[in-house]
Amino acid sequence: MSEIRTLIVDDSSVMRKIVERALRQAGLTLMVVHEAGSGTEGLDLLRAKQVDLILSDINMPSMDGLEFLRQIRAQNLAPGVPVVMITTESSEEHVKQAILAGAQGYIRKPFTAEQVKERVLPLLNAA
Amino acid sequence: MAVSLRESVQLVSDPRNLDASVEEVFQLMLGVTCRRDSGPVLHELESVTAVVGFGGLLSGACVFRSGSSAAIKIAALMTGMEFDEIDDTVKDAIGEIGNMLAGAWKGKVPNLAANCGLSVPAVITGRDYNLHVQAPEFQLHHAYRFA
Repeated sequence: MSEIRTLIVDDSSVMRKIVERALRQAGLTLMVVHEAGSGTEGLDLLRAKQVDLILSDINMPSMDGLEFLRQIRAQNLAPGVPVVMITTESSEEHVKQAILAGAQGYIRKPFTAEQVKERVLPLLNAA
Repeated sequence: MAVSLRESVQLVSDPRNLDASVEEVFQLMLGVTCRRDSGPVLHELESVTAVVGFGGLLSGACVFRSGSSAAIKIAALMTGMEFDEIDDTVKDAIGEIGNMLAGAWKGKVPNLAANCGLSVPAVITGRDYNLHVQAPEFQLHHAYRFA
C-alpha cells in the first residue's frame, strides 16, 4: 500500500486521533493526516489540499456529515476519492442516507482496527 | 415484523441492553472489561458527566457520569496520552463515550435505531451538581466498574 493522504472529519479531537490510530493499525502508511472539526472546515481543507481518503463522522454541529458529503459531491471536490462515514448511527436508514449522499463505506462506532481495515482497504485498492 | 412504540420501549428498557452496550463500548474502544457492579459506588468530589439527548420516537437522555480519576483513566486508555487533570481532551473523551453508549444502546432495537436521533454530547464537570430529566418514560441507573 502506497502512502496515502487522509482527511478525518469529526467534532471530537479524541475520535480523530482514534481513527488515525486505527488506520495505522490497519496497516496504512499515512503520509499526511488532515483533521477537521466540522463539515465546513472539511470543505475548506478539500479546496486547498488533495487527499486519497476521507473519513467523516455524521453527527456534528454546524454542518453534519451527510451535508458535508452532499457538498463534496455538489462542488465536485475530491472527485473519485472514497468517503467512509464513521458514526454511532447504525440503522439501515442511516446507511442508506449515507450511500445516497455519496459515501462508499460505513463504519459504526465503537469499532475495531480490523473493521476499519475491512471497510477501507478495498476502497483504496479500487480507487 | 413491525414493532410498536410500546414494544420498542419495553425492549430498549431491558437492563441487559444497557449492560451489553457498556461492555461493548469499553471493550472495543478502551480494550478493557467493564461490568455492572452492585457494590458501593465511590463518590469523588469532582466528576465528569456526558449527556446525550434522544429525540424522535423516544425522548430522554443517556447520562454517563464518572469520577474524575476514572474519567482521566478512560481518556488515557482512549488516546494513549497521560493526563493530570480534567482538561478539554478528557471532557471530549467522556463525551464520545456517552455518544457511543447512546448509539449502541438504541441500536439494540432496530425500530429505535432508525427513528430516534441523538444530540451531540454535552459535558458537565464540577462538584455537587444534580441532573434532572423531566418525566422520563423509564429510567435505568446502573453502576459499572472497569479493569
